[in-house]
Amino acid sequence: MKKYYIIITILLWSSFVFSQDDKSKLNLNGFLDTYHAVQSKSPNDFMSSRTRLRTELDIKKGKSFMFASLNAIYNSILPEQTKIELREVFLEYTTKNWNFKAGRQIVIWGISDGLKITDLVSPMDMTEFLARDYDDIRMPVNSIRVRYLNQCMRAEIIFIPVSSFSIVPYQEENPWSVFPSNTGNYFDVNMNVNPEKTLKNSEYGGRLSFFLSGIDFSLSALHTWNKMPIFKRQLSANNDTVFAVAVHNRMDMIGADFSIPIAKFVVRGEFAEYFGELQSLNIPVNSNDLLKRNTTNFLLGIDWYPGNEWTITAQYSHKLISDYIDIIENKENTALATMGITKKILRSTLCLSTFTYLDVKNMGFFNRTSSDYSLTDEIHIALGYDCFHGDKGMFGMYKNNSEVWFKAKYSF
Amino acid sequence: MNRLKTITGVAILIAIFIMSSTTIFAQNFIGKQIMQKVKDRPDGDTRYAEMTMKLINKRNRVRERKVKSYSMDIGEDKKTIMFFQYPGDVKGTGFLTWDYDEIGKNDDKWLYLPAMKKTRRISGSSAKKDYFMGTDFTYDDMGSRNIDEDSHKFTREENIDGHKCWVIESTSKDKQDVFSKKITWIRQDCFIALKVEYYDKLQKLQRRLLLSDIKKVDGFWQAQKLHMSNVQTKHQTEISIANTKYNISVNEEAFTVSNLERGDF
Repeated sequence: MKKYYIIITILLWSSFVFSQDDKSKLNLNGFLDTYHAVQSKSPNDFMSSRTRLRTELDIKKGKSFMFASLNAIYNSILPEQTKIELREVFLEYTTKNWNFKAGRQIVIWGISDGLKITDLVSPMDMTEFLARDYDDIRMPVNSIRVRYLNQCMRAEIIFIPVSSFSIVPYQEENPWSVFPSNTGNYFDVNMNVNPEKTLKNSEYGGRLSFFLSGIDFSLSALHTWNKMPIFKRQLSANNDTVFAVAVHNRMDMIGADFSIPIAKFVVRGEFAEYFGELQSLNIPVNSNDLLKRNTTNFLLGIDWYPGNEWTITAQYSHKLISDYIDIIENKENTALATMGITKKILRSTLCLSTFTYLDVKNMGFFNRTSSDYSLTDEIHIALGYDCFHGDKGMFGMYKNNSEVWFKAKYSF
Repeated sequence: MNRLKTITGVAILIAIFIMSSTTIFAQNFIGKQIMQKVKDRPDGDTRYAEMTMKLINKRNRVRERKVKSYSMDIGEDKKTIMFFQYPGDVKGTGFLTWDYDEIGKNDDKWLYLPAMKKTRRISGSSAKKDYFMGTDFTYDDMGSRNIDEDSHKFTREENIDGHKCWVIESTSKDKQDVFSKKITWIRQDCFIALKVEYYDKLQKLQRRLLLSDIKKVDGFWQAQKLHMSNVQTKHQTEISIANTKYNISVNEEAFTVSNLERGDF
């Protein structure tokens, strides 16, 4: 597959390079970055050590546009992550009121930061949990989008022929594995039970957005899957092995979001009802049993721009599971909050930021604090600390993974 | 006799007061009229420009920013869309502003971040006082400012480089502004400022803007080089404007979030 990608990419790029005429506009951009993280607690294991070359090529001719981005990654901790991959490749055609975009692309819906309410199109790559830049976590999907545009409104329909699913770390050697290695059990995980690639299993949906003086708002609907797998678990006869099978199931979503600027603030809100969301259970189950529930999800956020290059954001999101029964692993009500503070100094060359996810029910948190300095116009260096705290919940399970990290990036 | 002296003194004082009031009124009236003419200077209904900004610190270390911008007047309001071209880490970032002339009405602003593939609605009121991309220009300096946000006073005429100028002192009515007053030297033949001095809240000179390479482009007067120096921090910014086009074929529907995300029209 890798060879296939490389050959296709080289051919594509070559053809564009050689076929461009005076009216074509070609750009080649990208960056090289290197990221290394070490556990702050003993035994101070390296949590991540990777270097990546991202190349992005776009070509524009009249109303046509093509974009391709390619990652070449070397990962010292997770050898299977050393690879060359096509990240996005799509073509786009735009007229005065219509936009057609087809190919492998990242689709972001909604207005929340780092949380997903209506944003269910592009899945997540959780290989290193949330300890990466959020834009690195988002995965592209093969999709066809048609949009009608006018001055204040955008109507979009999207069709995803073959679904992509979130990547969940499960390998024992991955420090971000969701299966704990300290329980005495061996986990036998089967991740390859994706839905069949048939038309019936396709995804489709639409979004209607308005951008008006004083308010933005959107309505959205999607026939999709629970892209983050639910694991069905069964204990072996001698109780030493847990067989876990990743399961995806159909679900529907309708949602809405808004942003309202008020003086130095922007108030944001997002709401979504998921119909038939698959639930993880806290008891071993037979492989044919699935439990689905409707869930209500909402988010309220506020951004404050006090000036002097300060940005302060806060969000609260809540999930309510309908017709709750005790065998559901998650609580009936769960809440996540975030808080972010960013300050730029030294003529915007030094950016200090801190962003915290708080698991309200379990009182666990994940905080990423960093300083990013623009050494030159091309080179950025960043130093940061990821702090995990808690005894249970999604952050508590990584309480030994707090890490110091360093990143350098050259953009071209 | 004494009473007559008193009445005469009061009359003189009243006359001086009326005359000085009239003079102040006249100075303010003329000052505002001149600033209105500067604002109303013909510059087409739509325009395009490419800007290169050099940020020079006191050790003469230079950083560069490149931006291309489209703008359109809609009555007294203005819509602007800017695309960041350089450096690479901000390339593709877009900034859309619907700038309202009405005092007290907040602008509408959106910021597109290509790495996040996402457009953010941002506050329309706060960034005006912030410096634009680390330069010595505030967002307010880069945009259009309602002339009634300041009190203007015509102070004198002066010659700069052989050009006859009006000198106008403008005092901000907003106590939150980064400057307390600014003094502007306006060329009488083309209504373009040649020099602007910005004073801080302690009435000390903070920034000095010099405009040069003034010529007609597509029939409209334009300064193609702007040099802003912060005399307190010794930091400077040079803006070179190139490929300016006026009355380009673009309509109001182009200034949308969709085009902001596409990175071009």
